[in-house]
Amino acid sequence: MHIEVAHERCIGAGNCVEIAPKYFTQGENDGLVQVLADSVDTPDTDAVERAADICPVGAILLSHTAPRP
Amino acid sequence: MSIDPPEIPVWPFARKADAPLIPPPQLAELRSTCPIAQVELWDGSYAWLATRYHDVKALLRNPGLSSDTSLDGFPQSSETLKAARGAQKTFQRLDPPQHDVLRRMLTKDFSVSQIATLKPFIEALVDHLLDQIEAAGHPVDLVTALAEPLPAHVVCKILALPPDDFGFFLDRVGRFMALSSTPEQARTAAADIADYLAEVVTARKEDLADDLVSELIRKYLIPGALTEFELVHMLHLLVIGGFDTTANMIALGTILLLQNPGQMKDLREDPGLIQGAVEEMLRYLSVAHHVAFRLAKADIEISDICIHAGDGVIAPVSAANHDPEVFPDPQAFDVRRDARDHVAFGFGVHQCLGQHLARLELQVVFTKLLRRFPALRMAASPADLHFKDSMIYGVERCPVSW
Repeated sequence: MHIEVAHERCIGAGNCVEIAPKYFTQGENDGLVQVLADSVDTPDTDAVERAADICPVGAILLSHTAPRP
Repeated sequence: MSIDPPEIPVWPFARKADAPLIPPPQLAELRSTCPIAQVELWDGSYAWLATRYHDVKALLRNPGLSSDTSLDGFPQSSETLKAARGAQKTFQRLDPPQHDVLRRMLTKDFSVSQIATLKPFIEALVDHLLDQIEAAGHPVDLVTALAEPLPAHVVCKILALPPDDFGFFLDRVGRFMALSSTPEQARTAAADIADYLAEVVTARKEDLADDLVSELIRKYLIPGALTEFELVHMLHLLVIGGFDTTANMIALGTILLLQNPGQMKDLREDPGLIQGAVEEMLRYLSVAHHVAFRLAKADIEISDICIHAGDGVIAPVSAANHDPEVFPDPQAFDVRRDARDHVAFGFGVHQCLGQHLARLELQVVFTKLLRRFPALRMAASPADLHFKDSMIYGVERCPVSW
């Protein structure tokens, strides 16, 4: 699973930080989302999906990158 | 033979007298019969009312719905609320992109980590207030002794205002929020707060420090990215947003816990439960019961309904938070329920800026209150509790003993 964020949507709500702090933080200068690791370890997929759902503006975009052959 | 047309419900709905802490039962009825229904408002106009969790979230995230209360036909719960909200010139009633520009000026000061730095201050403040309560002896009105002063002092701290001024704020915010105030009273109260804050800005410009107001002056007012009018109204919003909401949650939350003594005991004995318990209290009580009103700027299709441009929309967080599809047996208060997906703080771009501050205050106050007064009990019968009919739901007094 791969994380991208639509920065222009972020309003700094910080829910993602509470749900998946391993992957999200808020910038010190603006309070807006910063991705700490854009590749999600398998045990963490539930939390990251929940973070994406709980984001009030849908700024967290998840995709499943296909494994390399 | 004539057929009576189905009655269109009139908004707002009444809570049940014997179940004052849960949302009006009509919300649940409509959710199962007509989840997006027309309701009639105080002025005879109509609006759409959504009661399902997923519909409420979809609507609050939809860019086709405007929060601009000055627009013709914007739905309101009463004439007073229309006057109060019309007087607001804050980013709460702006849409993106203007909304986002203003909100982002505040996001760093309300981030999860920045708010966490206030923990020592809040803990010391709560200890002090509880000391005063213990010294005064029971019975005590928890509203005046704890629920109101706590958030008031925190807002004063953040804005670097003299703590003595919080009585003034309490009075004016109360009048602004009360549905029973006349439109003129609401407008006057709002103007009083704005005048006070304008004086604060004028004085602070001459004496810049490192508080939030100074920072906004330095970073945005002086370079011209913000007008003085916009700054005053931004501060106005922080005051309004931070007072009643948290105060009412503290008072109602205490009543709710006292109604569930087994869980209150669990919470006192296992402080590790506090985070989840606070989320469940937020879900259950949903005190912001007159927010999430919008006006459609474009046609929107949702769940087989077509909302037309110009239609009013009401998407109450209280209805969403009691949707049994998402929160099974929603009227059951359960501190161990995973209620974190609630929308008590709203959804979409306007989701509460102060939510982490609210959470921190509630977690600290309930942890300490329960530990300090293990024998806490109501000193009034349920019939003697008067619930506040205002923009934010609350209770007038909360007499307790221990």
